Amino acid sequence: MMLLPCPNCGARNVSEFRYVGEAKTRPDPTTATPQEWRRHLYLHRNPAGWTRETWYHGSGCRRYFAIERNTVDNAVRTAGATS
Amino acid sequence: MSEPAAAVSTAPPVARTALAFPGPRRIVDGWELTARHATGDLVLADLGPLVKLTVRGPAEGAVRAALGTGFGRTARHDEGALAGALVVGAGPGEWLVLGPAGTGGELLAATRAVVADSGEFASVVDVTHGRALVRLTGAAAPALLAKVCAIDLADRVVPDGSAFRSSVARVVTDVVRDDIRDELDDPAGDGTARTRSYLLHCERSSGQYLADALVDAGTEYGIEVGAPPSAR
Ligand SMILES: [Zn+2]
Repeated sequence: MMLLPCPNCGARNVSEFRYVGEAKTRPDPTTATPQEWRRHLYLHRNPAGWTRETWYHGSGCRRYFAIERNTVDNAVRTAGATS
Repeated sequence: MSEPAAAVSTAPPVARTALAFPGPRRIVDGWELTARHATGDLVLADLGPLVKLTVRGPAEGAVRAALGTGFGRTARHDEGALAGALVVGAGPGEWLVLGPAGTGGELLAATRAVVADSGEFASVVDVTHGRALVRLTGAAAPALLAKVCAIDLADRVVPDGSAFRSSVARVVTDVVRDDIRDELDDPAGDGTARTRSYLLHCERSSGQYLADALVDAGTEYGIEVGAPPSAR
């Protein structure tokens, strides 16, 4: 079992959450080129190490939040709420 | 050959809760409920007829002050506009208001007035018929819930008057610790004795499954289904 620290509810089983993806900034729809949209939607850094990502606590507070997770050993540290 | 005329009933409509149990049923306040009587030490009671309102608004502000509680805590209103209601801080900026059966119209109007007076924008929706609500009462209640819920139910983590939402038997459930006065076993004789009691609230369509899962998990503790030990 892997525990995720929800900023609202505290540590909960990862099965209560939905993984949203790497946290990154959405391009400005009025100026972004198709190449920039493609990069935003489909290309990810996917590092072996620390990554900042968004999770959704569907079985609890129903809020989105960011955490930092190490993809090598699944260690997590808090990174604050995103909404 | 003419069709026989359809039977016309003039009886008042009867509402049904999310839960049905084998055995006799009775009508209370226009709701069909099990008529079974539970006398054991661990009881699961169907509180489906209670009025249930959801309030959504800013988490920390005037609405929170007017409702008297925030995320993770409960407030029982004994006086004021919401007298008789139990307000549960179900989430950040999300409240559940529970009231006695049959008070839906008045409680909805009172809650809307309280929210309007706060000056903040918030929504109040009556979900009485859309949710399931049960009360699990007995000293063995935390041991039962530990089988189907990963949250530590120790007094230090979930004291009386607190609430959380988590997975209970894989159903997203609001769990509210609301201990009740123990009238039969009160050693001090001053009304301070309490029996462990939890309210469990989930979507209506998951209610029967949740109740069945609780009854299954409670068999080893002698769980019984029946009328609540306390009126509220
Ligand atoms: Zn949460």
